[in-house]
Amino acid sequence: MNEAFGNEKLALVVDDSEMQCKVLGILLKEEGYRVLSANDGAQGVSMYIKYQPDLVLMDINMPIMNGHEAARKIKALSKDNSLCPLIFITSMATDQAYIDSIEAGGDGILVRPFSPEVFKAKIKSIQRISDLILKNKALQQAQQKDAELAEQLMSGVIESRNYARDKIGILKKAATLFSGDIQLTALCPNGDVNVMLGDFTGHGLRSSIGAIPLSETFRTMTKKGFSLIEIISQVNQQLHQLLPPDLFLAAAFVTVSSNDNTVYIFNAGIPDVYIFGQSGSIKHRVSSNHPPIGVMPALLDDIGLSVFSVAETDRVVLISDGIVEARNAQGEMYEFERFEQAASKGIIQNNIKDEVLSSVEQFCQNMQQEDDISLIDIPCDGWQQTFAVSAAPVTDQGHDYSFDVEAAWQWRLKLTGSRLSHVNPIPLAMNQIQEIEGNEDHLQSLFTILTELFVNSLDHGVLGLDSTMKSCADGFAEYFMERERRLKVITDGFVEINLSFYPNASGGRVVIGIADSGNGFNVNKYNDMIRDHQMQQEERSKLSGRGIHLVSQLCESLQYFDQGNQVQASYVWN
Amino acid sequence: MNVKKQVSADNKTITISIDDRFDFSLHQQFKEAYVDANESGTSFILDLSGTSYMDSSALGMILLLKDHAEKVTGQLKIVNPNEAVNKILEIAQFHRLMTIEL
Repeated sequence: MNEAFGNEKLALVVDDSEMQCKVLGILLKEEGYRVLSANDGAQGVSMYIKYQPDLVLMDINMPIMNGHEAARKIKALSKDNSLCPLIFITSMATDQAYIDSIEAGGDGILVRPFSPEVFKAKIKSIQRISDLILKNKALQQAQQKDAELAEQLMSGVIESRNYARDKIGILKKAATLFSGDIQLTALCPNGDVNVMLGDFTGHGLRSSIGAIPLSETFRTMTKKGFSLIEIISQVNQQLHQLLPPDLFLAAAFVTVSSNDNTVYIFNAGIPDVYIFGQSGSIKHRVSSNHPPIGVMPALLDDIGLSVFSVAETDRVVLISDGIVEARNAQGEMYEFERFEQAASKGIIQNNIKDEVLSSVEQFCQNMQQEDDISLIDIPCDGWQQTFAVSAAPVTDQGHDYSFDVEAAWQWRLKLTGSRLSHVNPIPLAMNQIQEIEGNEDHLQSLFTILTELFVNSLDHGVLGLDSTMKSCADGFAEYFMERERRLKVITDGFVEINLSFYPNASGGRVVIGIADSGNGFNVNKYNDMIRDHQMQQEERSKLSGRGIHLVSQLCESLQYFDQGNQVQASYVWN
Repeated sequence: MNVKKQVSADNKTITISIDDRFDFSLHQQFKEAYVDANESGTSFILDLSGTSYMDSSALGMILLLKDHAEKVTGQLKIVNPNEAVNKILEIAQFHRLMTIEL
């Protein structure tokens, strides 16, 4: 559209008869157009290029370049611009003339003689269509901008903050119309890694409104040490409140813990999650067993995490439905079988991302991609805590911290009965330490100490679970399920956590005391073992007992009291 | 029209059937098929026997229909999904939210 003269539109009349140009010019001016004229096709094309008119009237029989040829040139030039309507004016009232004119790119034809009223009506109708196209184009551009914004938000702002992008393989190929796949990874304070692959309903900006609260909650709660199910539960509640009922998030959540050689998986509405062995064999498939996140006000009660013991060489692979539902020209879907073959091959060659992508592309040939394609490939090894557990713990013998010295602050929480299954005290305790002392460097160690000691008190003390259950790989999952079952029906018992902080000039000491209502165990043997730091090699490689070993290495001192249902750990930082 | 609506003689049952692809392009038509049915206790039947494909926006649209059915204290039942469509309903675990008859 020519904006230079306000809203006045510009018409170009191309006719070798100056008389005709004048007559049409007058009629057009009465309709509010400014008018230019050219006397042959070639001149018409060059004036079209120079002035970009909003309407072209074209005679057919002209010297140098006829109307049809000029029309083809003009239409080729205006392809990417707005529709510039072109009307042929002719005295040839034959079917063929009409057909040829439309083929040449004309939007209409007026056969002479016509009355001024018919001419004006024709101009009006063609302008109406042209206005509609312009409006549609503007809307499309706005939508395109929204889609770009959505995509930039997802990949540029949200996913760029993902943890370990060098180790976790992430494939993401957005469809032409961006559709809202989201991939998140974050580090837990104990070195475990949380991963999520999600797919919001719908397309474009609409599908990404939930992305910001989702990623914030996922990251913050992971960092604070909340458990995976607590994070999912919170995200579900948040998205349920925030999003309209037809917008939700199909997603799978995974925690990979290489400390325990364990993987926890929750699949709410996406295709099966896979655990592959080193040889490319499928060890486990975890199907969706929960409606997508945000559909219901709270998570279903009877659905928990699936737990798997894994080998160091195993890999967890998540995919979005864009892969299995990708279609070829015959309308066939890519399906799981082809994916599994490509993935197995990719695992062996250590390039699962590329292998799956090229397999999907080969299958689809040149079909336009309808949905986002996402894949996340997580190694099960290499997520050990980053601090050196073999280093001697810091001790602080220069200062006397007898316990009659008043602590700078103290914090105490006693959880009883069913509260033990509903409340995770670790993030609360960590929050206290962080808020008051703000020492980021030591939070990871403190988190590990608190978690290990609390879990021991809860599992072995209050719930009475036997740690020998965990001595084989299958037993670990069994142990976890039994723990869930006992937690659900718990009515009595308690765990009490005490934190005291004693500052010195360059840091201070946190004393962590935990007591439980359990029966305890043989304390003397255990204390000896801790004091000696002499755990046998065979003990270390067992699936249980490593927690306490780790804690004793991190602490200045660790001691069990009474019948083993009270423990005190002291951690020093400088 | 890909969305067809049938009202039973006693006005108590509304059957909505979707032909071919059930996706975002049907949003408006789908909504118009049920939005005026405000009679208390109305039964809504979503017949998917002619549906060849369903995307996640369709799942969202079904949730809106479910909300509407609950608002008028009625019921929603999905009938006759083909294998591919049922797979999508299964992945989304919709049988936990509504009745699905194969």
